[in-house]
Amino acid sequence: MFRNNYDNDSVTFSPQGRIFQVEYAGEAVKQGSVVVGIVSKTHAVLAALKRNAEELSSYQKKVIPIDTHYGVALAGLASDARVLSNFMRQESLRERLTYGRPMNLSEIANRIGERAQINTQQYGRRPYGVGLLISGVDRNGPHLFEFQPSGMVNEMLATSIGARSQMARTYLEKNLDQFADATKEELIKHALSALKDSLSQDKELTVDNTSVGVVGGGDLFKLYEGQEVSPMLASAFGEGEGEESMEVDT
Amino acid sequence: MNHLPQAWGRPRDDVYGAYNASFLPQDGPKQHTQSPIVTGTSVVAMKFKDGVVVAADNLASYGSLARFTDVKRLRQFNTRAVLGFGGDVSDMQHLDRLLTSLSLRENYADPGSSGDETDTASLDAKNLHTYLSKVMYKRRTDFNPLWNHILVAGLDDADKPFLASVDLLGTTFSAPSLATGFGAHLAVPILRRVAPDEAAAETLSMDDAVNAVKEAMKVLFYRDARSLDKYSIAVIRKDGVQLKEDEKLEGQSWAFAETIRGYGTQIH
Amino acid sequence: MTSIGTGYDLSNSVFSPDGRNFQVEYAMKAVENGGTAIGIRCKDGVVFAMEKLVVSKLVKPGANKKISTVDKNIGIVCSGLMPDGRHFVSRARDEAASWRGLYKAPIPTSALANRMGSYVQAYTLYSSVRPFGLTSILGGWDSEAELPVDGQVGSGPKVGAGGKKEGQKRGGPFLYMIEPSGLYWGYYGAATGKGRQSAKSELEKLNLSEGDITLEQGVKEAARIIYVAHEDSKDKDFELEMSWVSSLDGPTKGRHEEVPKALREEAEALAKKVIEGEDDDDEEAEGGATGDQMEE
Repeated sequence: MFRNNYDNDSVTFSPQGRIFQVEYAGEAVKQGSVVVGIVSKTHAVLAALKRNAEELSSYQKKVIPIDTHYGVALAGLASDARVLSNFMRQESLRERLTYGRPMNLSEIANRIGERAQINTQQYGRRPYGVGLLISGVDRNGPHLFEFQPSGMVNEMLATSIGARSQMARTYLEKNLDQFADATKEELIKHALSALKDSLSQDKELTVDNTSVGVVGGGDLFKLYEGQEVSPMLASAFGEGEGEESMEVDT
Repeated sequence: MNHLPQAWGRPRDDVYGAYNASFLPQDGPKQHTQSPIVTGTSVVAMKFKDGVVVAADNLASYGSLARFTDVKRLRQFNTRAVLGFGGDVSDMQHLDRLLTSLSLRENYADPGSSGDETDTASLDAKNLHTYLSKVMYKRRTDFNPLWNHILVAGLDDADKPFLASVDLLGTTFSAPSLATGFGAHLAVPILRRVAPDEAAAETLSMDDAVNAVKEAMKVLFYRDARSLDKYSIAVIRKDGVQLKEDEKLEGQSWAFAETIRGYGTQIH
Repeated sequence: MTSIGTGYDLSNSVFSPDGRNFQVEYAMKAVENGGTAIGIRCKDGVVFAMEKLVVSKLVKPGANKKISTVDKNIGIVCSGLMPDGRHFVSRARDEAASWRGLYKAPIPTSALANRMGSYVQAYTLYSSVRPFGLTSILGGWDSEAELPVDGQVGSGPKVGAGGKKEGQKRGGPFLYMIEPSGLYWGYYGAATGKGRQSAKSELEKLNLSEGDITLEQGVKEAARIIYVAHEDSKDKDFELEMSWVSSLDGPTKGRHEEVPKALREEAEALAKKVIEGEDDDDEEAEGGATGDQMEE
């Protein structure tokens, strides 16, 4: 049987110049549940589908607020995301302490990119198994960055990562020209619609499994979960959507 | 029991006996800088309605010797901030290099495309003052202070005039008019007469502020034996920085000196 | 690739019996598919250009700059694994900062090329690391003026013996290209990435070693060459990114920065015209051959 000898570690190039361990780490991102990010000229929105291990367990956090002006959404290994988000919090606090100003988003995105790259070039380490969408507003306006385990960081207008995210990206590409001038409410609607497009047949967005992070227009980064997302779901998909889980035990 | 701060954290003499210092180095503890060496004297600065003016003379003294007469103690950081340094000149040079490295890093993170040498305006005067206060406080906490008193003049993030100081202890202070060294005693009262508070500074014209600072520099030259009549002056406003480094004090009048008695050779 | 399966290509820092380090060769493969990057050394500065393939239209146009600045006067453009490129640039910036820390002056371009060459080479020596999947073009303008020492606050005596040489020549444009092996050469015109072959042959036509070409010409040639090199992958969209560094009295005042939008667009329009002109020629030739049929 064919055995790939070049995929045991991240310090071996294949004859084609590929690093399989890094590519496999990229696959871990595709196993995670889907997250979406969009920016307009004024706002940045993150939306995520949360998963629970079993009926009685809680849902895995997907959107993590970092500083008052930005947050991240993750797809892949949540514990790796926690390491990176702790680092981002530390760096952001340091920026506020030493210079009295909020962290620049491209700067922090590149810093975690550089950190991740080290893991792809040294033996005894593994690449991070998580992809992140870093989104917020800094002195240059709203931004959205996509981070991959390879250390690749790209600034995007809108994007989606995670399981079946191609469907969400198709939605985003189709509606791309509407985002720049969209209002906050429209942007949230688009993000939820993109998220919905990537769901498998038997799933739907509910107040339990949907997270939304919003920042911009002078407001700080706010994470919406539980009942707080119910009006958003209602305005995106009509009143019927998510009703089932909005039931309160009587 | 001794409750004075000096005794905090030490074993109590009444319980453990006097501290046995015999293992300590006999020539005393390791010491860093105990005094400045080559020094610059006052820096004078004042806010006005849409900017800040700051001045310092071009002298670096070695004790009472007027050693270097073309030393520039104002440093433009970018289009929004100018720093004025009083105190040790070599420490000022060290800080200058720190700021160069900071400015390079700022340019990496946020490269402007204007082609302006000093356009790293992403750090405003307020950010810079915060940064310098951390540097100065860290050094003083290491018992190795940078022997300077610095004025940071410029604009804050809302383009409002900003003026604040930080000294060798890391102490920060802000006021509509500030001066370091001898100027803290002699110049500040003169400037306060022109603009006693923030409200007054907000209505002050640039010309009035510049004239007040020049007047203060003149008085300092009359009375401060470590000063020079060649000086640098900078005005920071929204439309940029105007820095002149080769000014000469105008309209000096030494008539008052005739009346001074009691020092040196007296004819009468 | 007869060596595959012999085991000598599974670890870095291992020679094969015929004296090759396969992992380094494989790293070079990573470069061969990257976007085309070029650098041109002109008489009054250096130009960099990069073909940035647009992988998705969701990527923000004009963002994600791939050409970086080191210190103020040096530019680096990389082709290959982009995260390796960021690591490389970060190291170059640290080298430049440490040089300043020691010598209180900016690092000369040649010294930076040397240090970065050594750094890349070190990653071929150990089995605990992999080589850089990267070829980088590094160039800059070393100041022709006598620079003050960092932190200098006075100019010293204006009369008397200063020990200064009158009319001494210093500084100028410099360009280097560093390969995954750590090997580097100085260049008049350097090209790497997917379209390097056609870019190289275009660069050779410019007679750069004569030293006549000006920076402004260089910008236009650089844009054209990237467009020519892109012909082979015509189906994919790309963005042209360009930067330059001039002498102190030139347009960038000795700093490395992005080519202004207006000039870049002008150069791009010219480049497109040239490319279309070539296509027209082809069509005309074809038209001539089928001319008889068309008349019927």
